[in-house]
Amino acid sequence: MATLWSKISAVLPLSEEEFPLQFSDKVESSVVEMLRRSRQLLYRETAGTSRMLQAQIILDYSWEKLNTGTWRHVDKDWRRVYSYGCLFKVAALCHRDPSADDVLQAVRTCDMALLMGAAIMDNILQVIVQILQREVRKSTEEEDEAEHSEVKRVGVQPHGALEQQLIIALAASVTALSPRDELAVPRVKRPSLESFSTNYLLPHKPAILEGIIDHWPAFNQHPWSIEYLRSVAGCRTVPVEVGSRYTDEEWSQTLLTVNEFIDRYITRKGGAKAVGYLAQHQLFDQIPELKEDIRLPDYCCLGEGDEEDITVNAWFGPGGTVSPLHQDPQHNFLAQVVGSKYIRLYSPEDTDKLYPHQSQLLHNTSQVEVESPDLRRFPEFAEAPYLDCVLQPGDVLFIPVQHWHYVRSLELSFSVSFWWS
Amino acid sequence: MCFPLLGDSCVYVAGFGAVTESCGIVKESHGCKDVFVSESHLTLAFSDRLESWDLQKVEKTPTWSMELNKESSDSPLNLPLLPGGYIATKAPLYRSLSPHLKAKSVAVSAEHVMLLSATGAVYTWGLGSHGQLGHGVLTSEEKPRAVEALWGMPMVCVATGGWHSVCISGSSSTEETQEGDKHEEVFISIQAFPALLDVSPSCEIMAVSCGSRHTAAVTTTGDLYTCGWGDYGQLGHPTLKSTDEPQLVEFFKKQQMRVVDVVCGAWNTFVAVVEERVA
Repeated sequence: MATLWSKISAVLPLSEEEFPLQFSDKVESSVVEMLRRSRQLLYRETAGTSRMLQAQIILDYSWEKLNTGTWRHVDKDWRRVYSYGCLFKVAALCHRDPSADDVLQAVRTCDMALLMGAAIMDNILQVIVQILQREVRKSTEEEDEAEHSEVKRVGVQPHGALEQQLIIALAASVTALSPRDELAVPRVKRPSLESFSTNYLLPHKPAILEGIIDHWPAFNQHPWSIEYLRSVAGCRTVPVEVGSRYTDEEWSQTLLTVNEFIDRYITRKGGAKAVGYLAQHQLFDQIPELKEDIRLPDYCCLGEGDEEDITVNAWFGPGGTVSPLHQDPQHNFLAQVVGSKYIRLYSPEDTDKLYPHQSQLLHNTSQVEVESPDLRRFPEFAEAPYLDCVLQPGDVLFIPVQHWHYVRSLELSFSVSFWWS
Repeated sequence: MCFPLLGDSCVYVAGFGAVTESCGIVKESHGCKDVFVSESHLTLAFSDRLESWDLQKVEKTPTWSMELNKESSDSPLNLPLLPGGYIATKAPLYRSLSPHLKAKSVAVSAEHVMLLSATGAVYTWGLGSHGQLGHGVLTSEEKPRAVEALWGMPMVCVATGGWHSVCISGSSSTEETQEGDKHEEVFISIQAFPALLDVSPSCEIMAVSCGSRHTAAVTTTGDLYTCGWGDYGQLGHPTLKSTDEPQLVEFFKKQQMRVVDVVCGAWNTFVAVVEERVA
């Protein structure tokens, strides 16, 4: 029976000589020396404590570099150094009889590298985290069987007609408007590439595309549910937004494991009242297993960029998450997988009635609270025409570039967005 | 990372460095009167000129130099402040300063700069995302901007850390601090306005210095207080715990040493002491 360390060791270079440590001038020689010492410890047997300290020094030092200046300007080499630090820390945690807690810490460390670092050695940390996840699953299989069988199954069956009406009525009652046909986002069933391009893409008109993601494994072989997400990504660390909306002063971001996020903000075991949202996160790069459950919409081929340029984000949260009215610099296909969302769209032509923030940071966001607008401060808002809808599982909303959109989840929801040009 | 010591009119360096591997004399420094070190450069002040040497590469000439004429050599230097400007932590090394600021001293860090004027006013500029500029917002400033919250309270000393700033007020015996967030486990909140740092029992601070995520202050009674990130022992306490409340460093009291000055490196603290003889 191979130990955890031998499995990790097997994916590392065979010897110290084959282990690359190349950096630009930006990384001081003293730091490179620290990295060399850590590398040496990977291939030699020494006392345990110095491994951890060495790794931590590299992590703390590069962490300071990552936090200096704006993120855009952080030299990629410092993010690579940070990843190496994570690698050495994982080695320190796992190399001698790690406890279950050590393994979870190692998973978290890999995630920090994936979130904040830059890929090293053919993305070795992605390989290692999968080894670690298998280890975690093995040890929790026996434990959790009893606990999670009680959790209600949250499936992805499309809502029955009655439920659908109920949800639309809910949305209507909250917005104090009755949905009229001319205000609804048009729905089209599996349009041809040509008709989508002619009728919606080129004239920049929003539409809900039906029937185009029915083939996703997320609806078939691996129906997405809370249990499924726990099993595939439960111990993985993800960024979570806390607070009702990102324009609020109390809004903040934190890092939690998927299990913690579900416990705290979805099933609300602790009775937390705050809203937590796993929003705008490239979860599918971090967890390849989930990437297998989705597909790139064919219509993206109508765009100019490459497949690699398409940004895929996960949006997972309880009912009540709100994205304030804002616009994005690319086209968006918003695919709804679990649950439903109320969405309102305004044309960029009516920007003058939407009172965008003046500040540089928020100039793509409207100051108006869509579902309870202060018409004394923002009188023109009442005149701005809009389209709205309730997006259901299986729907894909096309949001043309720069089109203003407001989103509120009506229940537990998981959406996948594709930003393309 | 190397540490310069001025003695016999030349500079000794210790630590890891490309220039000298262990404690040795920097030969280019003979006859120099003052020295200032940043992560990348060693700045030397001679009677007739200033020079900045690259610490990473062995070069024959300084990265930057400036002649000192008679008028400027008369006024005392206070590195990194120098005639007409100051030495920054990265290129371009020399930055000019407007004379109307009446700069008395300057503290520089990777992200921001703090200036103390002869009138006791404090100016800050640079990146502000951690609240280190003390203007109440998290935006950056391109040019020196007076810290209005400290208006009317003349300051006598300024220091900057990686993401925070500290200054000591003149008239009162308390220390004013502009805090950024220091260490994610200790300080999750960001404080963009200057806040009083409580040292208890109440005493007069005569010197202060900042590391990347910690602060050290010396009182007129010879005590050393530290707070901030402690993971590498930089606080000088028996444990490696980080703290946001300034705490007395018991060691010097127990050893009957009177602390007279303090300088912080990024993750360490250097202290000058005088041994007290108990009569």
